[in-house]
Amino acid sequence: MRPIVEVRPIVEAAAVSRSYGSRLAVDDIHFALRPGELTFLVGPSGAGKTTLLRLINREVRPTAGEMWVAGIAAHLLKPSRIAELRRRVGVVFQDYKLLPRLTAIENVAFALQVADLRLSDEQARERSLDALEAVGLGDRGNAFPHQLSGGQQQRVAIARAVVAQPPVLIADEPTGNLDQDTAWEIMDLFEDIAAWGTAVLVATHNVEIVTRLNRRVLTLVQGRLVRDQPAGQTGRMAWLATS
Amino acid sequence: MAGNVVTPHFLRRRVVLTVASNLVRYLFGGAARNWARNVGSTGPALVSMTVLLIMSGLVGLTGFTLHNLEEIEAGQASLLHVYLRDDADGSDLFALETRLASDPRVDSVTYVSKEEALARAQRMPGLPQLADATESNPFPASLDVHVKTIDDMAAIDALVRYESVVDPAYPTSYDRGAYQRIQVVLFGIAVAGFAFIGMLGFVAVAVTMNSIKAAIHARRDEIAIMQLVGAPRWMVRGPFVVEGAITGAVAGAAAGLITFGLAMAAVASGSGSLMQFAPGITATVAALAAAIVLLAGTGLGSGSSLLSLRRHMES
Repeated sequence: MRPIVEVRPIVEAAAVSRSYGSRLAVDDIHFALRPGELTFLVGPSGAGKTTLLRLINREVRPTAGEMWVAGIAAHLLKPSRIAELRRRVGVVFQDYKLLPRLTAIENVAFALQVADLRLSDEQARERSLDALEAVGLGDRGNAFPHQLSGGQQQRVAIARAVVAQPPVLIADEPTGNLDQDTAWEIMDLFEDIAAWGTAVLVATHNVEIVTRLNRRVLTLVQGRLVRDQPAGQTGRMAWLATS
Repeated sequence: MAGNVVTPHFLRRRVVLTVASNLVRYLFGGAARNWARNVGSTGPALVSMTVLLIMSGLVGLTGFTLHNLEEIEAGQASLLHVYLRDDADGSDLFALETRLASDPRVDSVTYVSKEEALARAQRMPGLPQLADATESNPFPASLDVHVKTIDDMAAIDALVRYESVVDPAYPTSYDRGAYQRIQVVLFGIAVAGFAFIGMLGFVAVAVTMNSIKAAIHARRDEIAIMQLVGAPRWMVRGPFVVEGAITGAVAGAAAGLITFGLAMAAVASGSGSLMQFAPGITATVAALAAAIVLLAGTGLGSGSSLLSLRRHMES
């Protein structure tokens, strides 16, 4: 009989709440993400998905509860130490957020070098090229963002998010601006990234992707985590992913 | 087989060089590029800071001149002329001179004869005509008493004023409050100067802060991305501080050159007479003032940037 190995969570939220004035955006959330797990975060618009991602990345601080990310207490973190946490969390956005005056490879290398000054240009370029090749853009490294399609720009953004090999990757509506075929390509990348041990949390409205990939799904409604559906049981709740 | 991994020195040196080169590129290279790109928006800050620094340089040189004048006046004020009767008795005079010389409040006592007083008067502006107007010598002999501190002038004056050898009509040169009046005037000028510089400084800091705020706004995407990928705070903020310092240094260099030029032009055109009205102003002093203006500009620019960053950039 094989021994059961308990994998410790890389992200852990305990009774996390976040309010904006009198409005409670996230209310008493408990969940944990483990390394190698691809998880979807679904719910109607205004349910608190983006706020939850921002809590993980410490763009906002919880008003109550504890948020642990890669062993760091994000809820207690001083502003001067936030950068340490963010080096452990890759981020992908719906609008890509690439720097327009840098080429694809420079965008990726920029993220790598600002986080680690010890890397020389050659090292950063080499690793960035590896990351671009991994997302299928090894031949477009010298293209500027405006010379790339939406799907290609999102691939560059993913390469930038994972080039420093963070243990956590969060993505906020990464396929929101893409057609369905391209969206599937992007999701394939997320599956590959998770397979290499990164905890991936994807906030999405894309019902088809959520139902067909059959991964774990966290459902938020009005700031509360109403369902935590394990992988393989996502079919019945797909309607919640519609806004 | 177990063994130790040794990091060769050249590898460590290469890492240090890489870090230094990246630092220079991100902090200074990036700041210089952005400064050149945003020179239009930093124009008002540059002009107001240059004007402020020129005014500061000129006010500083004026302050230096006034300080020198005050020292000259203080030297004059601590000298008490005790005018002697023409028929003063020699032994009484000697007794008074000895008593004054032994007084702990007195630095020195010098006897000036009528002939020496006349010769001195003939060297002073305006007095030669008076000296030549009469056939006899109108200037009295005196004891020139250097008092250690100006505060003791009144006491020494009171000590000698009614002595038998002292001229009862015009006993001493002591003018109560003359030095204090000069000090009050100089203090007033200094306060006005500082208030003026303070006001200009406030305007320059406000304008520079606004230009940095505009630069932050223009590059908000870049800043957001840097913050999200885990760039440390100093790396996000550093280029803006350097950018402010460049603005300040350019303004300081321009203002320093203008201050130096104006001071040298004044020295050249005023020649001898300038040295009476602006003592101590030389090429070295003007160059020093220009250097201080340059440093002040750099400090003002980077300081204003820091203030702006604290107010306008989120963590």
